[in-house]
Parts: sequence; C-alpha cells; structure tokens
Amino acid sequence: MSNESITVKRKRELSGVTAVLAREWATVFLFLLVVIFSFTGRGFFSLNNFQNVLHLSTVFLLLAAGETFVIITGGIDLSVGFVMGLSSVLGAKVMQIMQAAALPQPLSMVVGTIVGLSISIIPGWVNGVLITKYNVPPFIATLGMWGITNGITLKICQGFPVAYLPPKLVEIGNGFLIYIYPGKGVTFFHKPAGVVGTQIRELIRILPFSIIFSTAVLLFLWHLLKNTKFGQHTYAIGGSMNAAIRSGIDVKKHLVKVYILSSFLAGMAGVFNIFQTGVGNFTPFSAMYELFAIAAVVIGGASLMGGKGRIVGSVVGVILLAVISNGLSLSGVEPFYRFIAVGVILIIAVIMDQLFPDLF
Amino acid sequence: MGINQLNTTGELTRGRRLFIYVGQRWALMFLIFEFLVFSAAADGFFTARGVQIIFFFGTAIFLLGTAETFVIITGGIDLSIGFVMGFASVVSAKLIVAFMKAGMGEVWSIVIGIALTLLIGLIPGYINGVLVARFNVPPFIATFSMLGIAHGVSELLIKKGAAKNLPHLANVIGNGYLFYIVPGKGLSFLTMPAIRRGEKIIQLIPNVVVITFIFIFIFGFILKRTKFGQHTYAIGGNIESAIKAGINVKRHLIKVYMISSFFSTLAGVIYMLKYITGKADAGASFLLDSIVAVVIGGASLYGGLGTVRGTILGALILAVLETGLRMMGVSTFDKYIAVGVILILAVLIDQYFPEIIHKEE
Repeated sequence: MSNESITVKRKRELSGVTAVLAREWATVFLFLLVVIFSFTGRGFFSLNNFQNVLHLSTVFLLLAAGETFVIITGGIDLSVGFVMGLSSVLGAKVMQIMQAAALPQPLSMVVGTIVGLSISIIPGWVNGVLITKYNVPPFIATLGMWGITNGITLKICQGFPVAYLPPKLVEIGNGFLIYIYPGKGVTFFHKPAGVVGTQIRELIRILPFSIIFSTAVLLFLWHLLKNTKFGQHTYAIGGSMNAAIRSGIDVKKHLVKVYILSSFLAGMAGVFNIFQTGVGNFTPFSAMYELFAIAAVVIGGASLMGGKGRIVGSVVGVILLAVISNGLSLSGVEPFYRFIAVGVILIIAVIMDQLFPDLF
Repeated sequence: MGINQLNTTGELTRGRRLFIYVGQRWALMFLIFEFLVFSAAADGFFTARGVQIIFFFGTAIFLLGTAETFVIITGGIDLSIGFVMGFASVVSAKLIVAFMKAGMGEVWSIVIGIALTLLIGLIPGYINGVLVARFNVPPFIATFSMLGIAHGVSELLIKKGAAKNLPHLANVIGNGYLFYIVPGKGLSFLTMPAIRRGEKIIQLIPNVVVITFIFIFIFGFILKRTKFGQHTYAIGGNIESAIKAGINVKRHLIKVYMISSFFSTLAGVIYMLKYITGKADAGASFLLDSIVAVVIGGASLYGGLGTVRGTILGALILAVLETGLRMMGVSTFDKYIAVGVILILAVLIDQYFPEIIHKEE
C-alpha cells in the first residue's frame, strides 16, 4: 500500500515543471490575469492601481491569515466577519465619545484602537473554549458566535455607521510613506505643503501605510507558522489530532490560542477599517467576509480537512480575488461577474487539489 | 455509547424519568415556554392572527430548513440555499412578466412561470451534487461556489431591469388566505369577499403556508418511510458501509442536493408570490437560521441524524422568536444574539445528554 503510493508519488514528481505549475497554479493564474487585464483594463497596469488593490485588500489579508491558522488545524472560523464589525463599531464608539469630549485626537485614537483590539480576543477565547472543552464542532461554535457578535454590534451602533470620529484617522489610514511632486521635491509622511486642488493629481504617492502595516503583520505570521514551535504544533494538530496528543502537545490550549489569534486578527481588520473609512462600520449580512476569507485560503492550497496551508498561499488567494474584481471592473465588466468568477475559480482550486493531491 | 443504556437498566426513579421525558423534548418545551412568554409580553401575539403571522413569515425558514435537513443528514452542508432562493425569486418574476408581455393570460403565465422556475431550480442542485459526488469537492466549497454563482447570475438578471408589473393574481395567491369568514354573513373560499368599510373579516390559513406544508409533509414522509430516506441516513451514518451495502451513493447524493435546491427554489417562488418581486439577496439572512433550525431539531453536522419534524420544531422556535420580538417592539438585533446562544446551547445539550436525546433510537 505504502509502496504503491510512493511509486505514484515518484511518477508525479517526474514531471518537474508541470508539477510546479500545478502546485503554484494560483500564482500562475494571478500572473496571467494581470497580463490580460493590463490589456483590457483602463489604468489597470499602473502603480496607483496596484497600490490601490493592495490597500483595499488589507482587511481580507488579515482575515485570511487568521483563517489560515484555523483551517490548518482542521477547524473553521465563521465568526471573523462579524468580530471585525464588532471591533470596528466598538472602537469607533469609544473614539466618538472621546472626540465629543474634546480630548486630544491621538489619545482617543489610541484608546479606541486598544479597546477595539482587546474586545476581539473575547469571541476567539469563547470559540476556543467551546470547541476544546465542550466538544462543540467548530462550525457550530463559530456560527453561534457569528450571530452573537452580529447582534451585539448592531445593538451598539443601532444599525448605523458610527461617525464623528477624529478626522486624523483617515489621514493615517489612507496616508503614504513617500510623496513625490515632480520637479518640486519629495516629502515623507505628509503631502507637500502648498499642494492644493488639481495639483494633487500630479502627486506621485508611493507605499501606503496600509501595505507597510499588512506586510509587517503577514511577515510575522509567516514566521510564526513556518519557523516556530507554534506553527509546527498547528500543522501537527491538523495532520493528526491523536498523534499530536500522543507527542505531548497540549492540543486544547493550542487550539484556544489559534482561535484567539484568528479573532484578534479580525479585530485588527476592524480597527484598520476605522482608519481606512473614518467611520465604524458594522458588517452587513451580504458581505460574507468569512466566506471570502475561507475561499482565499482554499485557493491558496489549504485543505478544509486540515494539515495543509501556507500564509503565502492565502495571500496569493486574497490578491487573486482582489485582482479579479478590480480587473473586471476596470475592463468595464459588470461587478456581479465577480461573484460568479469567485465561485468558478474556487471549484477549479479544489479540483486541481483533487487531481494532484501529492503536489500540495 | 450509552444510547440504549437507559432502556436496559430497567427501573428508573420518577424524577429521573421526568428529567428524561423533558430532556428528550427540550426543543418542544422551549417552544412552549417561548410561546407563553410572548403571549404574556406581546400584544396580539396570542391570537389567530398572531399565530398565522408566525407561519406566514416562517415559510422561508421551514422550506430552507427542510432543504438543509436532507443534506446535513448525509453529512454534507449546503451554503447555497439562500441565494438559490433569491435566484428563484428573480427567475420566476422575470419569467412571469415575460409571459405576460407575450400575451399569455395571468393564470397561465403564473403556472408555466412557476413550473419552469422549479425545473431551472434543479440545476444548481445538480451541479452541487455532481461536484460533491463525482469530483470529491468538499460540500462546503462546492455549495459556496454555487452561492457566488447564483448570486452573480441573479444580480445580472435584475440589472437588465427589475421585474415589475407582476400580475395581480400573484398577490392574491401570495398574500391570500384559504378561508375568509365575515361574521354573520358566511364563509368564502380562496377569494376575498367584498366588504364594506369597517366591517370585520376573519382570515384563516394563508395559502403559502398550505403550499409549504404540503411539500414538507411529502418529503418528510419520503425521508421517514421510504427506501430513499433509509439510504440517506445510511450514507450519513457510514458512507463506506453504504457503498458496501450496494447503495449507489454518488447518484443518491446528487438527488439529495437536488432536493435541497428544489426546496430553496420553492422558497424563492413563495417569496416572489408574497412580496410580488424578485430579489437576489432574498434569502441571504436565512442561511444561519436554517442551519440552526436543523441543529436544534437534533441533527448532527457529522451526518446520520436529523428529522424533518425536528427541523420544523427548530424553525418554529426561530419564527416565534422573531415574530414575538417584533410584536414587542424590541429591535430584531437581539434576535441574532438569541439565535447564536440557542444554537450553542442545542449542541451542548446534545453533547452532554446524548442518552437522553437519542433514547428513542
């Protein structure tokens, strides 16, 4: 039996280039799409647009990274979308109150951020405890949390975005590291003084803060998953729960940590969302953030059975989905084709996985 | 483990027996409790009208819950039901309007439009089934993809002009009642009698509820009493032994996903009749509700367990909750919290008292 599978594996390993192409099909596909959209989409192939795509993907990058850890353990976290809404709304509410009390802007932003991030730990902890201590299936526990966090969020914001926040938020959330004003000079962090009106269009802006931020977080998570004991244990639990227990891993404690991590990243996404939009947004029903995050993770090569998945893969998955919607809309295609495209690509992803199981 | 333990240990104390009796019927007890609370707290809840409102607004959860029951018993999950429902509401509305424009009569447009929609509605289920059964795509992924596709297609259909001008007859069916009683004057059937202003009229049994329950009874019977139902449970219980027992598992799974999408389509058609319009996200918010209903009804996401009766009970708990809160004037935001808590409680009860819940088997 094992011999057989080894020979099968050998046979498949023989086809070197094809193997790499099949394993990295998402990356290859992403590359192809970028080439195609560069021809069809107006202004697609430009620094501005690429930065924009990444900037708008920040939230999904964070959600998918958290979901990657959970899915590798063989679980699933359906609550991330609404945990994100909760953090966003609660953090914004704190900022709103402090802003109304005429407190200094940096103070209210810091306090709001801390509150938003801290609250996101609770749903994750509850999920983890329900799953490990009370044997509730992850699907159910996190679906329950989906409803609970959604209800609490809506109660806090009464169904409206939380506005009247410190105006500095948007400057930070949508700021760039470098501004080049052709012929006039370069400034860091701030727009050069004296640039007003249509002159802003001539400004070349490089490296949004959001990209720096998400890159830093993702690098940390990539390291955590790839090079640390925490990451090893995560894969071990997903590979075989029993083997993990026998090898002395405290599986319960580890799983609680993983669900807290996922939830905390969702909270981070929520707080970032305040900085990006300048208001605290509740998560609408039809947003389905969690499903798109899961889709990205699966496209990136993870298996819902656990044991497989990479941060880099998930990042490619998120960017692939983002490029599809951005490229289609710049090519003048109706935005609704995006939903269809996502569905079709997801099916392709899994069928590829089925056809070449040894490659991933 | 201890499924039949209590049967064989013989004598049980009275308190224990009562505990088991209540434990087995905790969903029903909870429903009664809920009903009593709202009867006391909400004006007009405990009336013929109030009860009918529960059923009228509950049709979507009943139908989608039944759809999900079949799939969950096989150990799968269908995430596409909500958007297949929206898709069906759009398609049926579009078709009926198109037939009307082509010069067909009201009755025929509606009949043929609905019949065609029910046929078209089998397609997503067929694709789901083929992906799951033949291509080994995990149900979560296959049906999520279908969710996206159904959503996209129905938005595209709507974009080319929302379906307006549906015939009046659709409204009569969707918002009509089986019986109308004008006190002191008599009873009329299906059609609303002409009444003077200020005259009282009692309306009994909404048409859509009748349609809903006819189909639920038929498929409840199929699940419980026929070979088809047995095979469904067998696949969910242990797929290997189902294959060994000679069941054509692949074909059966395709059928199960088609049943699921049939019920979602029916929910969409009924939505169209009730609200006289088609909406792409008509069923978006019902996905959670329907899965919760199935789980409260005693099903396990690992497959092999679940009944249509249990699901309807679970769906009623949710429908009563929603209607009651609305009548009390409480924001429905609380509903989401309550649903989440009930879902987790349902599973905890199931985990901790397995012998109680499944003693019947």
